[in-house]
Amino acid sequence: MLSGVRVLDLGGGEALSYAGRMFADLGADVILVEPPDGGPARRVPPLVMTPVGEVSTHFVAMAAGKRSVTLALSSPQGRELLRRLVERVDVVLSTEPVGRLEALGLGYEDLRQINPRLVFTSVTPFGRSGPRRRWLGSDLVGWAVSGALPSVGDADRAPLAPAGGLADMTSAMNASVGTLVALRVRRRTGMGQMVDISQQEAVLSVSMEASPAYVMDTGAWQERRGKRRATPPMGHYATKDGAVTIVAFTPWQWDALAEWISDETGITEVTLDLFKGTPADRAPYVEAIDAWVESLTMRYSKQAFAEEAQRRGIPSTPVNSAADLFEDPHLRATGGWTEIDGGALGPLRFPVPPLRFDGQTSTVGAVPALGAHNRAVFVDELGLTEEDLQPPVPPPPPPPPFM
Amino acid sequence: MAEFGADVIRVESRRRPDSLRASAAGWVPPDYDPEIRQDTMAAQNFASAGKRSIGLEIDSPDGYAVFAKLVAASDVFITNLSADVLPRLKISYEAIRAIKPDIIYISMTAFGDSGPYRSYRTWGQNLSAISGIDRMIGWPDRDPVQVGFAYPDYVSAQAGTVGILAALERRDQTGQGCHIELPQYHMALACITPAIVEFGLRATSPTHNGNRHVGRAPHGVYPSRGEDRWVAISVRDDEMWSGLSGAEGLEGLVADDRFRTIAGRELHQTELDERVAAWTSARTDWEAAAELQQAGVAAAPVLDCWDLLGDAQLAARDFFRVLPSARFGAELVFGPAVVLSDTPSALKRAAPALGEHSRDILRDVLDLDWPEIDGLIASGTVHAMARDDVRLERPYLHWIDKVMRLPWPKAGFDPARLFMERLDEETASLNAVSETAVPIEAGSP
Repeated sequence: MLSGVRVLDLGGGEALSYAGRMFADLGADVILVEPPDGGPARRVPPLVMTPVGEVSTHFVAMAAGKRSVTLALSSPQGRELLRRLVERVDVVLSTEPVGRLEALGLGYEDLRQINPRLVFTSVTPFGRSGPRRRWLGSDLVGWAVSGALPSVGDADRAPLAPAGGLADMTSAMNASVGTLVALRVRRRTGMGQMVDISQQEAVLSVSMEASPAYVMDTGAWQERRGKRRATPPMGHYATKDGAVTIVAFTPWQWDALAEWISDETGITEVTLDLFKGTPADRAPYVEAIDAWVESLTMRYSKQAFAEEAQRRGIPSTPVNSAADLFEDPHLRATGGWTEIDGGALGPLRFPVPPLRFDGQTSTVGAVPALGAHNRAVFVDELGLTEEDLQPPVPPPPPPPPFM
Repeated sequence: MAEFGADVIRVESRRRPDSLRASAAGWVPPDYDPEIRQDTMAAQNFASAGKRSIGLEIDSPDGYAVFAKLVAASDVFITNLSADVLPRLKISYEAIRAIKPDIIYISMTAFGDSGPYRSYRTWGQNLSAISGIDRMIGWPDRDPVQVGFAYPDYVSAQAGTVGILAALERRDQTGQGCHIELPQYHMALACITPAIVEFGLRATSPTHNGNRHVGRAPHGVYPSRGEDRWVAISVRDDEMWSGLSGAEGLEGLVADDRFRTIAGRELHQTELDERVAAWTSARTDWEAAAELQQAGVAAAPVLDCWDLLGDAQLAARDFFRVLPSARFGAELVFGPAVVLSDTPSALKRAAPALGEHSRDILRDVLDLDWPEIDGLIASGTVHAMARDDVRLERPYLHWIDKVMRLPWPKAGFDPARLFMERLDEETASLNAVSETAVPIEAGSP
């Protein structure tokens, strides 16, 4: 879909990694620029010990399909090389803090002089303007300032942030959207522009339930209630072998669940008109309703409960671990997995790229070894000689973190 | 898409409303006029600000005929109805392409159109559980917790937008339309690819471990002064850790050799967390965060939803907007989280009332004449906005100009006072003050 689009991924923080990965999945040429001793993405924990050394799961997941080149931005030659790359690309992806690239003469204002058609996409913790523009961030910090955390976790302990890099993921998604909009504008105007993604705003854009208006509207005040919400039934319920989620949001979904509870457990009061309507209408009776629901779920295994609930039109699913996913019958039956070339790691199982175009699933490219594409990019494409490569691109350094 | 100037038409059934229309704001009495009630969820501003709404029953022959003309006039068709409903309503890709051959069609089902879960109904919370996201959140000595918000819904919408934009790029080059499928299950799995890679490499599933992060410490949410106030701290590496000595009162901790490397900090993490917590507890969340940032450490207060309204950073970036609304006069709308330097978002209005733009759309998109339009409305095929003389006020938005310094339309009434009076009177219905309908200053602050 994006063949012909060239992207320079400056690496750096995790908050933009998936944008380059997604563009690569969509057919763009994505060049990951790393310092000669490997970019920070190769060191993002957890690091897993493998026969070829310690490997960052984040790096493997996010670098697949990118080409890796090495250059030292600390040297004049390295900076010149980057400028020559910028002449030839459509997009630069950067997570550098405000001011750092500018200090190297490589800020957006400098780069647009070289390439006026350039779309420069920046992700920073708080955006490039405002009083906190220079603050440092992380996935956890992104969640902290989203307004969402006071309702995640248990009441007697600190708020919890979702794990696994989801704030980074959503920042990268917004960056991808902004980049593609800017490319479409360029089609009309011939000019590139700056895309300025704030991780705080990105997380807000996926946390509707933490917005003040939503909280006021539903009357469900922010509180940490562990595995369930105050607007029942909504959350995790125990089964014989783990938990299921149930969300009976619409009136008819509740009616179906209430009837099932009544029929199977003999708790007939659950079907009273008093409890009908929306989850917010049932909030005053949350304890009773959750207990009634669990008296039903405890009669089943998690997979069997979800199947029967779905048969009755009630949104319910099992609470899975990564191990459960590898056994999931639906993913097996529908090609939910793909195998990618992990380089020295051998073949690796990946979730299939979620976007399918005209029935075709994108292919995920290989995980690049450090500097694997120096020759292809610098010599074959930029026309440098082998000697030119020497100062900015030294021979592979002693044991890099990955391959 | 609407943020960036597309004319986005929301086709809505009154007989079978979607989840946000089927619900209502908690402050609206349950027995209030349902046709007005359905316009009251503030969440609609999150999902539909800037869209136009046509009320249209597409399962009647007349309704489908109107619908087909709308399709013919569109570039993109978006649906996230479930896989088994699409053929029934004649809105499968094949049916839509037959009307508009170069349409970009995107179907965002929960699980795709085949396989054992193809007919499963889910909300975002169900997807976050089944895809493994929930399993990684919680305290190690307790059950995992629920995220409580519908992360997979929103991240799938972001991915869907990427797919649409990419397909439009290709259409511009080749003239080809496109059938895009985006099972939200697959999107949620893509989000946790690192966890899947980990399982593939060493057969362990990452599990819930509080706010700790393997290979990073201190990494957590620590108590600060005040009730239920917290500060999040994530020290990325040993270099960031050594910077911490710049924060007054932490020099001793950083000088302690046991904590010098990440291995040591993870080994003594309980003590480390206690000592960091002792330091944060003596400060407010903002003091602690500012001192840590000064020392080069990533940290921030844990904001709650009310903090957001007064957040200086969001205000400086014009994140919140007040936009005109037919049902409410004006509404608070979350900002564009995608900021472009030269072509900024141009949202003109808050979320529509159901059918608010039915007449306009039939007129300016389909070029129907007024008698035809009236006929469609009279027959119940098309719905215009119900009771467009009734304007409501949210009982809490009187804060806006005080807290956020955003301009707020005033016409001599205080929505909160009016609302409280009504509650006192225990009136069965909220009679809106339609007589005082305010001229709205359109646009953002």
